[in-house]
Amino acid sequence: MMDQEKCWIREQLFAYASHLLEPREADSVRLHVEQCDECLRIVAEFQRLDTVLDEWKAVAPSGAFGARVRAAVASRQSHTTFFGLRWTQVLAPVCLLVLMVTTSVIFLRVRKAHKLNNGSTQTTQIQNASAGQAEEELTLYQNLPVLEDEDYDMLADFDVLSELPRGDNKVAN
Amino acid sequence: MAMDQDLELMLRVRKGDSESFEVLLCRHRAPLVSFFIRMVRDQALAEDLAQEVFLRVYQARHRYQPEARFTTWLYRIATNLALNAIRDRKGSPAGLHFENREGESEAAKVADSQQAADQQMMQRERERLIRHAVESLPDKQCAAVILHKYQGVDYRQIARVLGVSESAVKSLLFRAYESLRARLEPLLKEGRL
Repeated sequence: MMDQEKCWIREQLFAYASHLLEPREADSVRLHVEQCDECLRIVAEFQRLDTVLDEWKAVAPSGAFGARVRAAVASRQSHTTFFGLRWTQVLAPVCLLVLMVTTSVIFLRVRKAHKLNNGSTQTTQIQNASAGQAEEELTLYQNLPVLEDEDYDMLADFDVLSELPRGDNKVAN
Repeated sequence: MAMDQDLELMLRVRKGDSESFEVLLCRHRAPLVSFFIRMVRDQALAEDLAQEVFLRVYQARHRYQPEARFTTWLYRIATNLALNAIRDRKGSPAGLHFENREGESEAAKVADSQQAADQQMMQRERERLIRHAVESLPDKQCAAVILHKYQGVDYRQIARVLGVSESAVKSLLFRAYESLRARLEPLLKEGRL
């Protein structure tokens, strides 16, 4: 027997022993097995292996298993709402949306208030500045030195200044 | 036909029929727990994992599409959970506790069996050898053998469950059964220990 054929046949032996092959495949393996003592022995061992493996018995679930699963499912069910989604799965995006909208509204309001506040502050500053300037000017005028006699004489040469009153006629301020 | 019944039941569950889910639970709980016990070798963990499978089935009921057999879907979830549990256990110190616990329970079993008949003790020893032979296979081969031999899942379904081709499953099973034949040779030749 060629090695390649041997390999192909060996891969089929368990399936053949377990009656898992298609009829045509099973026929070709049978033809070979009937002529090959080694493969016949292997098939017999596989058949015994199948029986031996049956000795590993299944273990039944504990009596409480069904109740446990039912309780777990009921617990999930109570948290479940539309289309199998949990309340948390539905509420989370809704809460997030509400939070985002609220934050945006608060932000916009604060920004608006800040703008208004800024505007009024500037107006007040301008008003305050104008008032201060006027007061300073008034003080300056009030504190203007009154011309004395000698000053008057010195300045009398100027035509316009000569018309200013003398020292005894001080501007009463 | 069982396949059609499962599909029909699952379609009813999708529509909100909880009684159909109860029927599915009753039909599949024993094979599923048995599958997990063989895979993870711990009854408590096996039942936790089986419960998780049923919960996932229930949670995914609205998305369920009857494209394949119900059991293919069921065992796909189950096999993924089992392989993850085995991988986690291998990578954590808990694995040692698990082995110790198994050892203790084996010791208790042996102590019990001393009072029992010789036949029973011998049967336990044979079962232990078989279990160890299957457990010592690589994870995927182990899963394939348990699905094929003990759960009665066919090649095509195993291929879908493991996410490999059908020919890959044949090759996987061939190698697995060849290893088992070699490891269990004493049982095969002598028939009895």
